[in-house]
Amino acid sequence: MHALKIQNIEKIYGKVKVLKGIDLEIQPGQFLILVGPSGCGKSTLLNMIAGLEPVSKGNIFIGDRDVTHLDPKDRDIAMVFQSYALYPNMTVRQNIEFGLTIRKTEKSEQKKIVEKVSKLLQIEPLLDRKPKQLSGGQRQRVAMGRALARDPSIFLFDEPLSNLDAKLRVEMRGEIKELHQREGTTIVYVTHDQIEAMTLGDVIAVMKDGEIQQFGPPQDIYDNPRNQFIASFMGSPSMNFIPCQAEKVNGVIQISLESGNEKVKVPIKQNIKGLEAYADKSIILGIRPEQITQQGEDKPDSAKLNCDVELIEPTGPDTLVTVRINGVKTVCRIHPTAESKVDKLMPLLLDMSKVVFFDPDTQERVY
Amino acid sequence: MNIKRVLIYSILGFAALIYLLPLVVMVITSLKDLDEIRSGTLLSMPQALNFDSWDKAWGAACTGVSCEGLKGYFWNSVLIVVPAVIISTVIGALNGYVLTKWKFRGSTLFFGMLLIGTMIPFQVVLLPMARMLGFLGLAGTTSGLIMVHIIYGLAFTTLFFRNYYISIPSELVNAARIDGAGFWMIFHRIILPLSIPIIVVSVIWQFTQIWNDFLFGVVYSSGDSQPITVALNNLVNTSTGVKEYNVDMAAAIIAALPTLFVYIVAGKYFVKGLTAGAVKG
Repeated sequence: MHALKIQNIEKIYGKVKVLKGIDLEIQPGQFLILVGPSGCGKSTLLNMIAGLEPVSKGNIFIGDRDVTHLDPKDRDIAMVFQSYALYPNMTVRQNIEFGLTIRKTEKSEQKKIVEKVSKLLQIEPLLDRKPKQLSGGQRQRVAMGRALARDPSIFLFDEPLSNLDAKLRVEMRGEIKELHQREGTTIVYVTHDQIEAMTLGDVIAVMKDGEIQQFGPPQDIYDNPRNQFIASFMGSPSMNFIPCQAEKVNGVIQISLESGNEKVKVPIKQNIKGLEAYADKSIILGIRPEQITQQGEDKPDSAKLNCDVELIEPTGPDTLVTVRINGVKTVCRIHPTAESKVDKLMPLLLDMSKVVFFDPDTQERVY
Repeated sequence: MNIKRVLIYSILGFAALIYLLPLVVMVITSLKDLDEIRSGTLLSMPQALNFDSWDKAWGAACTGVSCEGLKGYFWNSVLIVVPAVIISTVIGALNGYVLTKWKFRGSTLFFGMLLIGTMIPFQVVLLPMARMLGFLGLAGTTSGLIMVHIIYGLAFTTLFFRNYYISIPSELVNAARIDGAGFWMIFHRIILPLSIPIIVVSVIWQFTQIWNDFLFGVVYSSGDSQPITVALNNLVNTSTGVKEYNVDMAAAIIAALPTLFVYIVAGKYFVKGLTAGAVKG
């Protein structure tokens, strides 16, 4: 049984189609991430699930109820907003109780719920404070507490971490995930941050221009992006796109890579049927930074290339080295102990076992 | 304190003195008797504190044919101002709430039309309004005058509240909607508690406007229902032999006291409201 089912949802403002037919389905207890660049319609979609925006076309089901035209209050949802939206004139306790009071929950029951929620989120000492007197992280907790108190069938999160500083964001991210694991809640979570998407989600829907580009588990989206947009959006630093010439030699497709004054031909051992069509044509090689490393032990499906180093950025656990391959800047993730110098050649190892290819015109993946 | 400071303060002090001078003249003149006024200069001090002219202005001065002072008209004004201020502020708040948080098709146009309402001079609406009051059977009544003030003030109060509410994040309203609150509940529990500063602004503005209004008062009220501004005019223009400057002055001060009072009492909150600013939770 699905927890949330979205059928062919459209949103039209005047003549502009903001959402162009979205289909989604998640199971109870799943953590769904809607991720995409700003303006992709992810927040609009969330607001439509919440009932804050009218639906132009299509249907939304929560459980087996059609909620497409129901009021937000009748949908059995709770939402955590980007600005937290705590009622400034009420104390933390009143904020948490507000929804319960409106739903005429008994006083004794309310007290129990507030106790439970505030213990869970460690906000007990804050219960009598006003939102003004709280720090960003505390407000975030209270906002989650308010949502949890209602015990809805679906939680909606609208970029809840984007107002926090970097350190707190990582902390709260962990707490949200922990909470999800412990309580088994169903969550729909909007973010523009691909790291949040990767770390939190059970399933991710990558959106662009009002359409879902790809829907699946985080690792699958990371390893098997359907097109160049998804490949570049997920992962940081993002995937390198190297245009290269393909040719067929002895029945095997080879691509040419060139850097410094060296040129190598690399046979593609992966079984990609679509590659045949690109013999003697150009194709885009997609290779992630961590797939280009310093040379060391030989890997079965790999290529060696001496590359001109243009930029070195140490990050601590590893060093990002920018080289130029086939004329484009290419970022490689190198072990910090590996020696590299700007303007010097560096021998690099390209792991070809997980590289992907894209069509240069359509930017679609070649399978 | 250096010389620049001294200069600045003396200029400010001088400006304040000039500004206060009319009030000072009014107060000391109202405390003199007619002989003193005739013999002394404008700025000479009264010989004794003499409140006779205040008594007369309040209870016995002639305004036209009747000679019962301003007393009755003062309460007329209170009776007009209090409901008019309350009702126009409440409706203004509701308008602002709807125009920012419950937008409807054409709400921007609606607000634009209301804005024009703030630019319409009194004189333009005099005749149509008189027709309407006559049509409603409210001509010459206090309720008619109250209605005129409410309608005329709505454009202003709506503008105040709309501009204030636009800075209250809509996410607050959305959160309350998801919590299960409806239109009135959100207004009452979330929006109104945040509105104190703008309510004060609206009340001060409306109180001053309506209390000080002369034109609507003189046109739409008659006889015993006239507001104090009209009565003051009648009092000053009614002369039986000598011109009693002391009574005129006292009457003028009495007519101006309530607005002064409102500024002194609410002015603190007024400034607070302007500076408190951030309502974002």
